[in-house]
Amino acid sequence: MAPFDPRLVTRVGPTRPLLLILATLHAASAALVLLQALLLARLLAPVLSPTPLESDGLGALGALVPTSAREVRFGLTLLSAVVVGRAVLAWASERIAHRAGARVVSNLRSRVIGHVGSLGPRWLASGSAPGVNVLVTQGLEGLLPYFTRFLPSLLTAAMVTPLAVVMVTGLDLTSAAIVLVTLPLVPLFMWLVGRLTQTHSERHLASMVRLGSQTLDLIVGLPTLRSLGRSQGPAGRIHGLGEAHRKATMGSLRIAFLSGLVLELLTTLSVALVAVSMGFRLAGGSITIETALAVLVLAPEAYLPLRNIGLHFHASTNGIAAAEAAFALLDIPTPGRRGSEPAPNLAGLTLRLDALSIATPDGSLLAPADLTLEAHPGTVSALVGPNGEGKSTALLVLAGLVYPTSGTVTAVAPDGTTHLLSDDDTNGVEPETWSRQCAWVPQRPDLGPEGRSLSLGQRERLAVGRACESGRAILLLDEPTAHLDGQARQEVISAIRDAALRGAVVVVATHDDELMAAADLVVEARALDRAAGGTRP
Amino acid sequence: MRGKARTAGDRRPRGSGLWGDLDLRWMRVAAAILAGSGALGSAVGLTATSAWLIARAAEMPSPADLAIAAVLVRTLGIGRGALRYAERLRSHDTSLRGVASLRTRAYERLEAGRTAQVMTLPKGEIMARIGADLDAIGDVVVRALVPLGVAVVVSATAVGIVGSQHPGAAACLAACLVVAAILPAVLTARATRISQEEGAQTDAAVSVAALSALEGATEHRVWGTTAEAASLLDDANARQEQARESAARPAALAAAIHVLAAGVALVTAVLIGIAAVTSGDLTGPAAAVVALTPLAAFEAVGALPAASAQASRSRAAAARVRGLFESAGLNRSEPSLRPSPAPADDPDPRAAFPLELDRVRAAWPGGTPTSPVDARLAPGQVIGIIGPSGIGKTTLLLTMCGALPPVSGEARISGRRVTPADTGIRIAMTAEDAHVFGTSIIENLRVARGDVTHEEADRVLALVGLGPWLARQPEGLDTILGSGGLSVSGGERRRLLLARVLLHPAPIHLIDEPGEHLDEAGTDIVQAIVEESRAAGRSLVIVTHDHALLKVVDTVVDLGKVG
Repeated sequence: MAPFDPRLVTRVGPTRPLLLILATLHAASAALVLLQALLLARLLAPVLSPTPLESDGLGALGALVPTSAREVRFGLTLLSAVVVGRAVLAWASERIAHRAGARVVSNLRSRVIGHVGSLGPRWLASGSAPGVNVLVTQGLEGLLPYFTRFLPSLLTAAMVTPLAVVMVTGLDLTSAAIVLVTLPLVPLFMWLVGRLTQTHSERHLASMVRLGSQTLDLIVGLPTLRSLGRSQGPAGRIHGLGEAHRKATMGSLRIAFLSGLVLELLTTLSVALVAVSMGFRLAGGSITIETALAVLVLAPEAYLPLRNIGLHFHASTNGIAAAEAAFALLDIPTPGRRGSEPAPNLAGLTLRLDALSIATPDGSLLAPADLTLEAHPGTVSALVGPNGEGKSTALLVLAGLVYPTSGTVTAVAPDGTTHLLSDDDTNGVEPETWSRQCAWVPQRPDLGPEGRSLSLGQRERLAVGRACESGRAILLLDEPTAHLDGQARQEVISAIRDAALRGAVVVVATHDDELMAAADLVVEARALDRAAGGTRP
Repeated sequence: MRGKARTAGDRRPRGSGLWGDLDLRWMRVAAAILAGSGALGSAVGLTATSAWLIARAAEMPSPADLAIAAVLVRTLGIGRGALRYAERLRSHDTSLRGVASLRTRAYERLEAGRTAQVMTLPKGEIMARIGADLDAIGDVVVRALVPLGVAVVVSATAVGIVGSQHPGAAACLAACLVVAAILPAVLTARATRISQEEGAQTDAAVSVAALSALEGATEHRVWGTTAEAASLLDDANARQEQARESAARPAALAAAIHVLAAGVALVTAVLIGIAAVTSGDLTGPAAAVVALTPLAAFEAVGALPAASAQASRSRAAAARVRGLFESAGLNRSEPSLRPSPAPADDPDPRAAFPLELDRVRAAWPGGTPTSPVDARLAPGQVIGIIGPSGIGKTTLLLTMCGALPPVSGEARISGRRVTPADTGIRIAMTAEDAHVFGTSIIENLRVARGDVTHEEADRVLALVGLGPWLARQPEGLDTILGSGGLSVSGGERRRLLLARVLLHPAPIHLIDEPGEHLDEAGTDIVQAIVEESRAAGRSLVIVTHDHALLKVVDTVVDLGKVG
């Protein structure tokens, strides 16, 4: 997994300026950290040198901090300014990082929901919807620590480490050589340790997870054990399992922490080597105290960001995984435009379904299969049959929300003109303009956030009421009386009849005998098993 | 949680509540803190020693004069990584020991709770509390206690190093360290509180708006309200961003104060160092130590905000776990609750006991009682209990097995009143959601009785219709069930529970909904179980919705009609 997904910049518009600001703040902060090192060298060199300083120990870098900073008052003023600057930058970049994280989460959440909504009811019903829900409400939250912890350390590493190496090179070639040799060793050794311990850690991890879940399982079974009079034994076993779990976990940690060990060992030891080598060369007179001090303070700064990346690495994985999942959803193509003409006014038109078949998402079944129906204005038609035979899907087709695998949906005007609901873009009626003339009520209607506190029966009554009063030409109601008791059921049925009397085409899917009795036409939906070639058993 | 009344021979948790249950060995914690302090102390030492080395080298001594410092610098360079590794292992080990001890104690505490409450604890609740929450309590060692200890020791060491050269500089450093330790931790605690209080509301609003936009997407298309749903979500998003913004403010301030405190310490140290050399109070190398040590001294206190946040998370987890103990009725011990399983007055619990219900009305404390029930259950007999859902069928079972005292009337076994001590021993119960353990098939049967043989298991599994299923498992009775093993369907699970009923030694067994998830063959299986029990002289009470099952029972109690 890459530590940074460039799509977070290229495809999440509103964060682009924030990320730019964040990068700038970190660049400025990096510059101040390095200036601080040079300032310390300027300030301390005169008092630590036994002889007055002749040359400029900072060489070419002397241009960044003038030799006048050797003067205590001026030098300390500069140093104080650097300190205040760093504190302000730390404050600002923390604020910006939080804001960027929150924006990206909001933006991806809205876009994923918008996009998934446009994929159509079949996709939503395909079983992926709960996953989307978890992603937008919980998964994307993983991007917050990614933006507030991991990304800043990544930016620091990208700015401070190379700059520090360049500056050390400008000051002292021998130290630069030590840094340049050891720096690449850090990722190399971490990779090697990871490779060598992979099988070990996978095995340990597996037994750790197993023992952990066994312990929990035993405790979760306590009510059962008590009911059977067997609850007094397992305490000892839980203790034993806990010990085994600890040993397995420690086995895995001993290995997991090795990469941390290597990281810390290499980074700290390298700094020590730089210091010792300079000490002896300084004693030999081949470098100056000013140079040595600058390098001494600079060298750890080259390694520190690498340590921080290691520290915050776990914060990155969830966020990156969530971003990948979100982009994968956004990349699912939306169904293209269909139909070439807007729908006519459907009021007073007859709806005709002709030999309609729709394949289930896995393709094994046609549900419904070969359904034919003519629904006239002013009548109620009932689709009946056992669950899973395709009644709800037939309603979705009638609403222009799903396209039939074969067969047609037509609106027939009293003068005989036909309007075909089309699924290609060269002829026929645009489904979107058709849908807007349908009042469709699903089995579990959604009435917005405030409707969430209502019971299913209350929601159903409100939604069916809204549909009946909408004045739309076509009413498509999926089990409108399923969650209602006697009185409410009667009211809903008479509201449906009234809507038909006002001239609407009403099609209901139902198991309810009373509603069937109130219908003018009852049609049975049947599924067909494509492999068996016959109706389902 | 403290000072639970203990009966003789009772192995109950002692010590001071949940934190006591962690059973921390302070030597282990101290060892972890020592190793961690060694690690960060090495970093401080490395900076101080190399500052001394460079400053001393500038005085052009003979290389031999630098030898000791050079060795020390290299050693400290190794020390940081090695000791940090040791600290992480030590602290995790201590934490894991603590969690293992917590789990055992938690089980013991729950097990000692009131019988009826224990028998009806929701699985999800136990899972969340005993799983994630106990882990969060254990994390207090690794993420709060040890970092706090290390911060104290390392800061003291840094102050000590500087103080050995210049007490005034040491005082300045100490003051800055205290500021960097306390202010950011307080501010972070405030950020955490804000995000918990405001965040919880805005998060809930976002998730409702998201769910509505997502699940209602098709309806929004039909009604043309897609844009409205999207703008509702955008509003919720905006409010969430605002709440996050207000939590970020103290967090950003905490970060700035850390940098500022470290910076002020550096500036004053440099100032003091230079002045001391100029005045001749300090040698060059000593001044270098004073001036540069602050560069490394602030890393340890930097861990404190996270430590304080962890401490409050652990406290919240502990409060939730206590809530679970409360709901298990801990500390409100039932009188004569836990006698030994077989008291002197009935030498053989397997002997047949006629169960009598005399105008028994069952209810949870504060609940609506059932209508009075009269019934007599002779050895080998079967009672069926029916009635609409919510009328108290399960509550009646809990009362019959002794877990709940009746509101009025009396349940008697062999002429004496039923008590919680009878639950599971003389009168066992199999609940609708009884647990199938993530262990082997045979061990799952041995939950009913510890000495079930392979032959018995084979016979009983065949009787409940699991013969062919067992034959398909290559590992046979040793097949592991549950997560990570063989997944069990609703019907298979139900059959396993019925096999347990057959194996359980109690003379009376109460079964809640034995036919649920079973097809038509279910009635035959229940019939077979009834016959098997009758032959053994054991009695059954069956609660059911399924009227087909009533043909196998001797008496029917209709809770919807009696009274």
